[in-house]
Amino acid sequence: MGMPISHIMTSGMSGIRAAGDLVARMQLSKNMRIADAKDYVAKKLEVSTLDLSDEYVMRELRDDLGIGVITSVAGAPKGIAAKMNIEKLLDIKINCCEKFRNQVD
Amino acid sequence: MSKEEMFKELSDAIVSCKKDAVVASVEKARNEGIPPAEIIEKGLAAGMNEVGILFERGKLFLPHVMMAAGAMEAGVSLLEADMPKEEASKKLGVVVNGTVEGDVHDIGKSIVSTMLQSSGFEVHDIGRDVPLQDFIDKIKETNANMVGMSALMTTTLPGQKEVIEMLREQGLRDQVKVMVGGAPATQAWADKIGADCYAENASEAVARAKELLL
Amino acid sequence: MTTEYALRMGDGKRIFLTKEQIIADLEDGSADAADLGEIQALSGDEIDKLAEILMTPSRMVGVEPGKEVPVTHDIGTIRIDGDQGNSGVGIPSSRLIGSMMHERAFGADTMELGHIDYSFKPVKPVIAQEMQTMEVCQQNMIVPLLYGAMPNMGLYYTPDGPFENPGDLMKSFKIKEAQESMEHAAEHLTRDMVWIMQRLMSSGADGVNFDTIGAAGDGDFFASLHAIESLRKQYPDIYIEAGMAGELLLGLHGEMEYDGTTLAGLWPHQQAPLAAKAGANIFGPVVNTNTSRTSPWNLGRAVTFIKAAVEASPIPCHVNMGMGVGGIPMFETPTIDAVSRASKAMVEIAGVDGI
Repeated sequence: MGMPISHIMTSGMSGIRAAGDLVARMQLSKNMRIADAKDYVAKKLEVSTLDLSDEYVMRELRDDLGIGVITSVAGAPKGIAAKMNIEKLLDIKINCCEKFRNQVD
Repeated sequence: MSKEEMFKELSDAIVSCKKDAVVASVEKARNEGIPPAEIIEKGLAAGMNEVGILFERGKLFLPHVMMAAGAMEAGVSLLEADMPKEEASKKLGVVVNGTVEGDVHDIGKSIVSTMLQSSGFEVHDIGRDVPLQDFIDKIKETNANMVGMSALMTTTLPGQKEVIEMLREQGLRDQVKVMVGGAPATQAWADKIGADCYAENASEAVARAKELLL
Repeated sequence: MTTEYALRMGDGKRIFLTKEQIIADLEDGSADAADLGEIQALSGDEIDKLAEILMTPSRMVGVEPGKEVPVTHDIGTIRIDGDQGNSGVGIPSSRLIGSMMHERAFGADTMELGHIDYSFKPVKPVIAQEMQTMEVCQQNMIVPLLYGAMPNMGLYYTPDGPFENPGDLMKSFKIKEAQESMEHAAEHLTRDMVWIMQRLMSSGADGVNFDTIGAAGDGDFFASLHAIESLRKQYPDIYIEAGMAGELLLGLHGEMEYDGTTLAGLWPHQQAPLAAKAGANIFGPVVNTNTSRTSPWNLGRAVTFIKAAVEASPIPCHVNMGMGVGGIPMFETPTIDAVSRASKAMVEIAGVDGI
């Protein structure tokens, strides 16, 4: 486990501790290179690109936006609920959210 | 044409992978009175060595290697008539090569076998996931003087060490050189288990085998 | 007395080198990549920067704030529950727990679900379980969750599969037959990978990670590119990551082409545009570590290859930096000092979009 953790500590965006999942989603859904993906997410979140890896900024923001926080917060959106909010925030479609909606409809 | 130019022509013919070109060059070299052993070693084998390097550099592919090997075989068989019988049938060495038990990786080991074979070694490729005792049995059966063992996983690497121990137990260790390879194998590992050499890739395997057996 | 810096060999063993030795090895490694790939070697400034990273007097280094990149994960949760003597740490846990640990305990930016064998072909008999596990994981996870597996075309040859082993055919000089066997295997592999991903997409997967493409040579890449192309047509929004097995695409068939390009003999900067053309979103270039060389030599070489791939690629590049690749030592528990330095170098000098 030391290897992936070392990479995350050295270079990673910390996933849902900060905004790594959001930047990765833009790379994966729109083929955005790193600078474009960060710009896109930063604009949607109304923060600077530096803030995207800043746990201090992102913790409260993620909580406010209902897009999932890393620690256990009772009542906060989790799983598909958080991802549905990410869809709206980033203006993308997420496959499992579509499947969920289809099953509910 | 100087001898050196003739060797270059022979080598280039092998690299072209064309049997006709090799046969024509060999005939020419024969007519110029170059001894068969020199034609093979300094011309054809040098060409095969170049083929191996070009394969590892992504300039030639496995079918080319096989075509070059086939062309070399045709060239050598032309020369056999000019050679003393014992020399014609003489191989650089007899090698048993395989991937150790529990490990199904095949490709790298097969390429090493092909390169050794086309360089003049008699190769007995016993496949992949080979029970360790089979290495010993094949060495005895073929009177091999080298064994090559591949392992692509850290979990199967110890099989190489076990075969060396089995060779010792059977009193065969002194007559058989041991070569190890595969992604997790290193020179340090080879030293630790008492192998004679470690090879990083197929052309290095040929070079190491020649160093040890010639 | 000349200062010596503690570094590593490619197998992880500690060595001590002077600054001059470090720079010489960096230049030598970079020149080797430039020669093989016919690409630009690193500049003097880049070599100096790499040397500075390697000589930093601390156990770990880190990228400059603002330069962080997403770190994606392959091999699914095998690192957690794997207990086959590989790099897994053998903690008994479900794959949902493993995935959530990556997301919540480690801060992974993306994750993937995979099964313990990790090849595509064996997924077929257990597809219903994979689909339901994907559904359960998607209900709980927030980061992108792909399905990951290896194309591993070798499983389609005897004794594991229906087609005659091309290695054996080649050795008997049956070149045409060997090539035909590879073509048949590639066709079946493409079909299986598409079939498996159709089902996982119906279970809510974000997409797929093709891991170690090309392990069985050019046919493996051919099959994967066609699977990518087919999936992109069927699912315009699917996330597709195409990660390679090695730096050089071995020409076992030799004549297979994609989009008019012969696949055999391609280097990372030549592979990336083809992955993009087929429809991948992210390309994962690989450079193998040489265990007999020093970490400066390996890192200089790897950064040179990856920088060229990043420049040539029309899509994001997430460099593969696991055991024995990307300048990381070939060792089950790669040392943190080496991992951290290679990681920073890839981001700050090669300019990768992710790891």
